[in-house]
Amino acid sequence: MSNVIVNRVKEFLKRFPPFTFLNDATLGLVAKEVEVKYFAKEEFLFRQGDAAQNFFFVLKEGIVQLAEYRDGVEKVVEVCDEGDVFGVLALLGKRPYILNAQAKEDSLVYAIPVGIFEKILEENSRVSLYFAAGFASGQVVVRSDLSKSQKARSEFKELSKDNGLLIFTGQSDLNFSTDVLCCLVGKSIGEAAKAMSEKGVGSVIIVDESKHPLGIITDKDIRNKVVAQGLSYDTLVEKIMTNPVITKSKDAGFSDLYLTMIKNRLHHLIFTEDGSSQSPVTGILSDHDILLSQGNSPAVLINALMNTWDIHEMAKVRNRAELLLKYYLENEVAMDFVANIISEINDIIIQRAIKIAKNKHDPSFPEASKVKFCFLSLGSEGREEQLLRTDLDNAIVYEDVTPSKEEEVQKYMLLIAEEVIETLLICGFQPCPADMMANNPKWCQPLSKWKQYFSDWIISPNQKALLHATIFFDFRPVFGHRTLADQMTDHIYQEITGKTIFLNFLAKNALLNPAPLGFFRNFIVERTGEHRDKFDIKLRAMMPLADIARILVLSHKIVGINNTFKRFEKLAELEPNHQELMLEAGKAYEILMRMRAIEGMRSDSGGRYIQPEVLGKLQRQLLKNTFAPIDELQKIMRVRFQLDYFTN
Amino acid sequence: MGWLDFFTGKKISKSPFVKEYEALFEKKTPKLRPISQLKFVVLDTETTGLDTKKDYIVSFGAIKLKGYSIHIQETFETYLDAPIQNTNSVKVHEILYPIEISPLKDFASDLLRYVGSDIIVGHHIGFDLAMINKILKSFGLKELLNPMIDTKALAIRLEKGPHYDPRMDKRGEYSLDNLCDRYGIPLDDRHTAAGDAFLTAQLLMKLLKLAEQKGIKNFGELMG
Repeated sequence: MSNVIVNRVKEFLKRFPPFTFLNDATLGLVAKEVEVKYFAKEEFLFRQGDAAQNFFFVLKEGIVQLAEYRDGVEKVVEVCDEGDVFGVLALLGKRPYILNAQAKEDSLVYAIPVGIFEKILEENSRVSLYFAAGFASGQVVVRSDLSKSQKARSEFKELSKDNGLLIFTGQSDLNFSTDVLCCLVGKSIGEAAKAMSEKGVGSVIIVDESKHPLGIITDKDIRNKVVAQGLSYDTLVEKIMTNPVITKSKDAGFSDLYLTMIKNRLHHLIFTEDGSSQSPVTGILSDHDILLSQGNSPAVLINALMNTWDIHEMAKVRNRAELLLKYYLENEVAMDFVANIISEINDIIIQRAIKIAKNKHDPSFPEASKVKFCFLSLGSEGREEQLLRTDLDNAIVYEDVTPSKEEEVQKYMLLIAEEVIETLLICGFQPCPADMMANNPKWCQPLSKWKQYFSDWIISPNQKALLHATIFFDFRPVFGHRTLADQMTDHIYQEITGKTIFLNFLAKNALLNPAPLGFFRNFIVERTGEHRDKFDIKLRAMMPLADIARILVLSHKIVGINNTFKRFEKLAELEPNHQELMLEAGKAYEILMRMRAIEGMRSDSGGRYIQPEVLGKLQRQLLKNTFAPIDELQKIMRVRFQLDYFTN
Repeated sequence: MGWLDFFTGKKISKSPFVKEYEALFEKKTPKLRPISQLKFVVLDTETTGLDTKKDYIVSFGAIKLKGYSIHIQETFETYLDAPIQNTNSVKVHEILYPIEISPLKDFASDLLRYVGSDIIVGHHIGFDLAMINKILKSFGLKELLNPMIDTKALAIRLEKGPHYDPRMDKRGEYSLDNLCDRYGIPLDDRHTAAGDAFLTAQLLMKLLKLAEQKGIKNFGELMG
């Protein structure tokens, strides 16, 4: 046997998954067994219904088209190019082929005998995951299991890339103390302080007879509430304890624990047996524990933001958050966690910016500054999905005032908005090209005017109204009086009731961009067979999903869920017959968000345009797998909103 | 057989593996056998130079091809470190071996078993054959008996027609590099015997398909 040739086959195979996951020796064994086959243009490698051959294929050169023949029509499922793996049914289950494989150019393929690979499949979990997740071509028929795809992706990531930047380490490294200092209710502060001092800890949990937590006392409480106030040390602990306490089970996921602490600005989180406050204390997690496990962490960043009024300092912190984001994305940290953290950081920046603006302008507007208002984030930021600092979309709603005051109030609100936008620009955000920002008088309006806007859009859904709908319907209160935002939501649902035609228009709008078919070489293959050299991930994959989620949420009259992936989760609950599809769609959206953000950071752009050549084989497959739920959802929308009979 | 035999010009007796080889040709390949059923051995040699008298084979690579398919398992390669290959002794690593026990004998026997009666294919096959025949002579075989195809000649025949005068071609138009380029075969590591044989095998598959399209469908037509 020729080693030169075996090596040549090996070198080729090892560039492509699943062969990338084999060690050199195993890959050598596989390469030796390879059969090189040549097919001239138009020849069939196998046909739909043929019994499985004894090998599966890797395309070495040329083009092989996989197509399904049904009802007399041939529908192209995929066009394979160099390194694509196909015909894997031979390997998995030995069922007859369900697709036609035809050479579209003279093609050289490597046939890998099933025999040698079956063993590998059993022994190598990454290889079996590759197939289980539907990464091979033509394997994805209707619905692949995207959660497996995701899992696969994180399994496949090169460990070497881990640069030791221990920002996120996961729960296993989370050390919390199980030996918790507790103090019975009814004891004196003096006794509690003595116990703390003996044990050398900074906090004590106040419990009842059954060791259920009632409250917590920290060093700070003793300093601020006892010593500074001149309280007697005989005062009972329950007088100064902070309560109620927030409790969790120690088995709660890391991100859950972490978010709870961040959102409630907790320094200590108490673990109880079942996670409720009605069960015995089992441990305590301090923000210090988190810091130790995290190194550089969101908590540190948020803390830094909360402790500065300097805009440039805020900008620096926001830049640091970008590093954190990068690390999270590369390490496949759960998307809801990542999106939550980044939104939280962005929200804090906005809140701080508003406070800075208010401090500056309130003295000049004694009247107007007392008018209730709410700062709203719109679009992707409104959906808590804006990972990168792309375009700002925001607005201000304020309570209705008498006409005589209107001018003065709007002037004040616009000043505040102007300041906030400037701060956000300094922090690295981009202005909205369509000027959908709170400093635009049109989008800085009293509640009654906003209600009017929404009514207009709903009643006469022209093209502009539909564009506005996709952005403004995803508003989220970030600062100020939430009730104003709630009233807007109530108004929208009131208006939609009985005007289903609006949803039909929205649905039609959502179907304008069908998902592409897949990839071929460095092109995107459209359903029309056309090729394009770059892919607008926002327009072609994310927007259709976000739009569909919004329409379905509106049609179900769901309030308060803004995330596209959370919306799909909710829809999975509400539509049990489409449960699987909805969950897949949510997963697809998470994958797309992640890809867009990674691409954006790579190319220092909004990440909208993805060039297929920068994606690895796996990434392409993963991206392609996300197209399947889009296509299926669009079909459902078409039927549900009767779009085939609906023309405007 | 002693060293004197060479100088006396006495006919060298045939080694058993040569007899075995010759026996394979008693039965001729039917002219009607379709291309997809024919067995080919594509080979290439690397030599110290272009003088068939002075130079010698350094490495040899070969590939079996049948029905537009190559089994990697059935490829063949060997390295010869044999400065003198046309006498009855061979110097390998500064050791002088009598020809009967030399690595050359193993090579000759392996080679003949490998090629059997298959169609031998190569690019500029004449040169490789001359170098190989030089070795085989030492074991009593005048020359290889297999049907031969030169991929260069085949490409010219398919592209320019059977009556073309090869002296008319532009320089290098039918070199292996240019042909591979023309037929879309990526040139990875060239200039190992096995590597070149692999390239030539890919070229052959393309040429055979082309031949079939042009109505050359069986052994008779292919060799004719």
